[in-house]
Amino acid sequence: MRLGDAASVIRSKNAGPFSVTIDLFFPDEATYAVARGSALLTVAGVAAAYRVAESTVAGVWFDDRILAAKVTLSRWSSSDDPFCSDLFGAHLHTPLADGLLDEGAGAVGAGGAGHAGGPSVAAGGDVAQ
Amino acid sequence: MTDPVRILGFVNHIAPSADIEAQIEQAFAWGVDVVVAQGTGSDWGPYWLGSGQQVAANQAANVEPYVRAALAHGVPFVFSLGIAGADVHLEECLRGFDALCARNGWAPRIGVLSGEVSRDYLAGRIAGGAVVEPASAGSGHARLTEADVHEAVRIVALVGPEPVMALLEQSVDGVLTGRALDIGLFMALPMLRGLPTAVAAVAGKLLECGGLALEPGDSGRAIWAQLDETGVEVRSCSPDARATVRSIVSHTFYERGHPTREENPGGVLDLSAATYRETELGVRCEGAAWHPAPYTVLLEGARREGFRAVSLLAVREPALLAQARSWARSAEEQVCRAARFAPEVAAGRLRIHTRIMGLDAVLGELEPHDGVTGHEAGVLIDVVAATEELAREACYYAFIRMFIGPYPGRKTTAGNAAAPIMPVVVPVSEVFQFSIYHLLPLDDPLGPFAATVTTFPRQGGIPTMGGDHEAR
Repeated sequence: MRLGDAASVIRSKNAGPFSVTIDLFFPDEATYAVARGSALLTVAGVAAAYRVAESTVAGVWFDDRILAAKVTLSRWSSSDDPFCSDLFGAHLHTPLADGLLDEGAGAVGAGGAGHAGGPSVAAGGDVAQ
Repeated sequence: MTDPVRILGFVNHIAPSADIEAQIEQAFAWGVDVVVAQGTGSDWGPYWLGSGQQVAANQAANVEPYVRAALAHGVPFVFSLGIAGADVHLEECLRGFDALCARNGWAPRIGVLSGEVSRDYLAGRIAGGAVVEPASAGSGHARLTEADVHEAVRIVALVGPEPVMALLEQSVDGVLTGRALDIGLFMALPMLRGLPTAVAAVAGKLLECGGLALEPGDSGRAIWAQLDETGVEVRSCSPDARATVRSIVSHTFYERGHPTREENPGGVLDLSAATYRETELGVRCEGAAWHPAPYTVLLEGARREGFRAVSLLAVREPALLAQARSWARSAEEQVCRAARFAPEVAAGRLRIHTRIMGLDAVLGELEPHDGVTGHEAGVLIDVVAATEELAREACYYAFIRMFIGPYPGRKTTAGNAAAPIMPVVVPVSEVFQFSIYHLLPLDDPLGPFAATVTTFPRQGGIPTMGGDHEAR
């Protein structure tokens, strides 16, 4: 399943001029679980989807309460670049959305690691911070 | 026990929704102690700071219904204005506010706070040993130097809550600021009333984009919150939207690199232990933490990079579409090799870039497709050069090579593409870069930011605003 088909919302936006952050929201627990366990939603998986170095990926986070994931990357071309193509960073989600969720693969990589606390904790499994 | 503080929040660079009067009435029925809205930001890029221009948002018109209600109820308002938020932008907004007050017969006493940092002040701080580090690893910047400061056209800072608090203490009817930290505008009154910084900060984070934190999200709508010693309850002012745990928590992610940790002047807002639960009318958040840190403000400075000229061509001929990328690249190369341009390119005074709408206009070098797959495509020739004359000449040169130059297998020998815009070369604007995106340490959070209290509509301009004002 494509991540873009699995998620109900994929929103891409600048987080300051030099980072772009992509928030993903999933429609139900089952779909969220597949995404959370995927190899795509890890630092290595995101880097591969964009064909950038892993050091470009600032982190991948999950929020179990609202069935959401967050991916943040350093911008390869920011509003500082006179030829930046997307000044608001609002349309940089598509390489990630085209990525496939490896259904049934289970937790892969550090991104699948457990929660930092109880159900009230926003971010479990901080990666690459 | 400190009394609760009620905030009506919105975004003043976005036009309010048609039913805004009813939303404001609902908020005041619940009670309002301060009306707050942000109207500055770096999201639009460095052009606005460098050029002194601002987007045509008409912020004075957007705030009108809110100012009317605030004045009628005798509660203060706090607005940042002018997008890039330097003095030139703020002054233009203040003139709009003058006219608004004159038209309505209002005579409010307003605290005006500059967000501009003078080059002399900043260079002096660096000469005096201040260490001003880059704010973002992704910027590629080094520690700030006096040379960086003098190269910048304009410099602003994201002013924190303290200078706003100092003005609110003077019992003004409102505070109008230039560039400011969005959440700091919301934090000012709660902090002044003695509520915890963590509660003030998380409330600011939830309210800073107005109704965008609601379901459905729309920044044209207002948002309301009540803050107390332990938390904040957020409500929609409109029956057509509501606060849900999902809408509120997802808003804490919005435009932030990290989901639960946010560095601010004087401390870090930490939401890793925050809880959210739905109440009868909204969502209550508790458990935000504030970890004190040295006080710094984020500086933004713009440096001129050149002048931009563009040209647009549209292609539908299949033989040309099949080689659109190499055809456009060839035109770039012909410009760079031309005797009249080669020295300028070598000196870094001329850069040319083509983007093909229909192939690589969004992702550029990262685009995995290597050819156009649709039945037509557009080509934008984009030139940035040291002068307008050079940009226009190089852009036309590229246009004419693409329009009339040969390509393999050509049959269209009278002209290669459609030209939709005349003049075919459009002079766009000066181009700027964020040459400064650094953290300035401040011993006193009031910093160097010029502040004055004035009755609107003003007689003439504000004497402390504009140019290199003196440090306070």
